[in-house]
This record gives sequence, C-alpha cells and structure tokens, in this order.
Amino acid sequence: MTDAGREAQLVELFTTMADTLVDTYDVIELLQTLVDACVDLFDVSAAGILLADGHGELDVVASTSEASRVVEIMQVDADEGPCLECYTSGRVVSVEEVGAGPLRWRHFEQVALEQGFRSVHAIPLRLRDRTIGALNLLRSTPGALNERDVRAAQALADVATIGVLHARSVEETSTIQSQLQEALDTRVVIEQAKGVLAHQHELSTEEAFVLLRGRARSTGTRLSTLARDVVARRVRL
Amino acid sequence: MDDSVEDAVRTLGALRGTDGVHEPFLRGLTVDGASVATLGSPFGSETVSSSDALGQRLDELQFDLGEGPCWDSLAALTPVIEPDIRSRPRRRWPAFSEAIQELDLGAMFVFPLSIGPLRLGAVDLYTLRPHELSDAEQGRAQVMADLVSKHVLRQALVEAGVDPDEERRESRYTRRAVHQATGMVIAQLETTPEDAHLLLQGHAFATGRSMREVADEVLSGALSFASTEQGIEEAR
Repeated sequence: MTDAGREAQLVELFTTMADTLVDTYDVIELLQTLVDACVDLFDVSAAGILLADGHGELDVVASTSEASRVVEIMQVDADEGPCLECYTSGRVVSVEEVGAGPLRWRHFEQVALEQGFRSVHAIPLRLRDRTIGALNLLRSTPGALNERDVRAAQALADVATIGVLHARSVEETSTIQSQLQEALDTRVVIEQAKGVLAHQHELSTEEAFVLLRGRARSTGTRLSTLARDVVARRVRL
Repeated sequence: MDDSVEDAVRTLGALRGTDGVHEPFLRGLTVDGASVATLGSPFGSETVSSSDALGQRLDELQFDLGEGPCWDSLAALTPVIEPDIRSRPRRRWPAFSEAIQELDLGAMFVFPLSIGPLRLGAVDLYTLRPHELSDAEQGRAQVMADLVSKHVLRQALVEAGVDPDEERRESRYTRRAVHQATGMVIAQLETTPEDAHLLLQGHAFATGRSMREVADEVLSGALSFASTEQGIEEAR
C-alpha cells in the first residue's frame, strides 16, 4: 500500500471510530473493526485483542480470524508468551524472530511456528497506570514492525481501551473491572450464538460468526444484542 | 406460573443440599407421600429425600429387586401412572408386585428425573388408597420433576467436586469450545444456556470425560442431544 493510501485509510478508520464512540455501540464489534483494520493497515497476518478478567487472566475477545489456529495461538500467548508479558509489564513486547535467540516461551514458540507465525508484537491496552489487556499482532515473516506502524498500532490500542472503558454510558457508575467483564461476557454470548447457528444451519463455528456479524451489520443491530436474541431463540437467522 | 410450580421454584432455590426436594410434590399434589431417588450410574441408587418410611421402603424394594415403576419410568423417560398398583396394576413386576402386597399402598405415580438424555433417577409419588391423578396434576408433577432434576444434578456435581459455576479451571481454549458447544445444545434441545451447560457438565461427569472432550464431540457432531420423536436421545 502507498503511504498516502495508508494515511487516508488511517484517517478514515479514526473518523469511523470517533463517530462510533459518540453513539451507542457494541464493544465487540468495535474491537473486531480494529483488529480487521490492523491486518489491512499493517504488514501483519493476524491480529487479536485480549482483555483481562477480574483474576488477571487474559481472554481473546476479538480476532481477525475465528479459525482455531489463530485463536489457539492467542490463547497460548495469554498463558505464557509476549502477550502475557505485555499485559503484566504494560510495555510493548516484540519477538522479531520466533525460535531465534534465547528460549523464553517454549510452548508458545512451538505453537507459533507450527501455525506459521514468525514474529509477534504485543501492544498494551492501557489507561494511565493500568493495563486492561493487549493488542496482539502476528506476522508470517520475521522482522520488526517499523516505527510508524508501532505508533499507529499503539493509537489503535488506545482507541480500543477507550472503547472498552466507555462502553457504558457515563452516568452509570461502574468500575473498570465491571466494564471489562461486560466485554468478556459478551464474548461468551457470541460463542454460544455461534454454536446455536452452527447447529441450525449446519455451519462451522467460523461460518456461523460470519453469518452473525453480517446480519448484525445489514440490520443495524448490535452484535451482542443479536447474539443474545439468537441464544434466547427470539430471533432465527 | 402455577402456584405449586412456583412453590417448587422457591423451595428449591432456597435449599442448600437435597434434603427436602420432595416437599413441593407433597404440598402441591393430591398425594400422601413422595420420595426422590437417584438410580443407577453415575450417582448410584439412593434415596435423596423422602417424606416417610413408606417412600424409603418403595425405593429400597425397587433398588434391591432391580424392577419396578421407577426403573421403567427412567428407562422410557415417561411417567408411570398406576392408580391402583396393588390390586389392579397396569403392568406387572413379578417380584415388586408381590412385595408390595403387604404395604398400605394404593396408587403410585412415578416421574423420571432427567436432563436431556442424561438419566438421573425418579420421583415416586404415592397414596395410601387407590387414587387418580388428574392430567393437570401429572403435568405439574413433570414440571416439578424437571426442576428437581436440575437441582439434584447440581448438588451431585458439587458433591463430586465439580463446581457447576466454576469455569476458571478450564483453559481458555476449552472455555471457548464449551461456550460454542453450549450453543449447539441450546439449539438441539431448545433450552437455556444454563441448562445446556449443566447438561454438558453432567454428561462429562457421567462418562468420565473432560468438558473439553465432550465439547469437541458436540462441535464435531459426534455427540448430539437433539430431540427425537421418542423423547430426547443421545445420538452417536
């Protein structure tokens, strides 16, 4: 992509985000848009956002692919890997070449290589001194992200943080943790809805997610609302 | 909601263990006694809660003889209705029918305790003199039995060291697969997320497998809890 084309796309993305944030919006949908944008904008093959629950455990709430190989590597990363380190340290953690240099995360590196990922960048989702999760970027080639990409990715991570923490209306006095929990709970309902649709239409769970998201968009329904309706069987897609 | 069913929901909601789960039947239906028992595997044949010695006796006889209305009800997942079981039984159980001749027993109405395909036990309701249970009462009894089933399964899982509300021990990948499998079961049985999850846990426990294994089987289609015309059956 040309620099100018990319700049234009970034501006477009931030404009969309800003518009989204002033209205009522769905957190998961916002995070999904962000991770999808990461793959379009940066030289990465997969991206995901992980949030920490009340016990400091990270869980994947959005990823560019629902394919199990992508979700699995992120989950392994959440247990022991750059993502966890990024979350605990609050700093960007980069692995420029998986499998080279000192062995730090045996299981993570093994799974990453098996799945074809050669470099990883984890960017903290941070509000002041508190880290609430991480943006995980995976690439199929070794190497560092360039400086501008790192800054742009950090800006996207900041938007994600704002998106998660402001998801509730400002009058509602809810703690950061309960806002985080809401995003995580929404993910649970989406997974259940994928299962319901997978059974009803004989789809893979990945295809079920595409159907769910597509319908939410085409009908202007919030993803979480539609997922709840599907699970409660109020709506049949 | 019907008063007696509402009473059952309230009573069960307030119960810590399983002692007393028979009480809503006794209060809400025209019967003299009630006994709730688990049968066979995985929880063993055992009276869970009973209104009197007769209820326990009826359970014991059926456990020991391996026959009787509770076994038939559980096997077929349908009620067994016997308005005059001693003198004019609709079915005959050679040893059980013989054994109850010496008891003060009129009618027996037995309802299965099950969740989806998972068979747990049965509720024996009885009267001292012959008696008919109206269709409406039978309907309410089955709703109560379904509520009791969930309560009994939850308690049994707790006693077996499985916390029905505890998911944190499961790995992240497991959790995601379990949520998806829960969705599949919701669609298969047209039930709620809570019941679908409980059913998966009960099935995992009953078959000695992990939630991850059961979830993967559901997701691959190897295991289905879909309803059939004969009732709910586990398709493999």
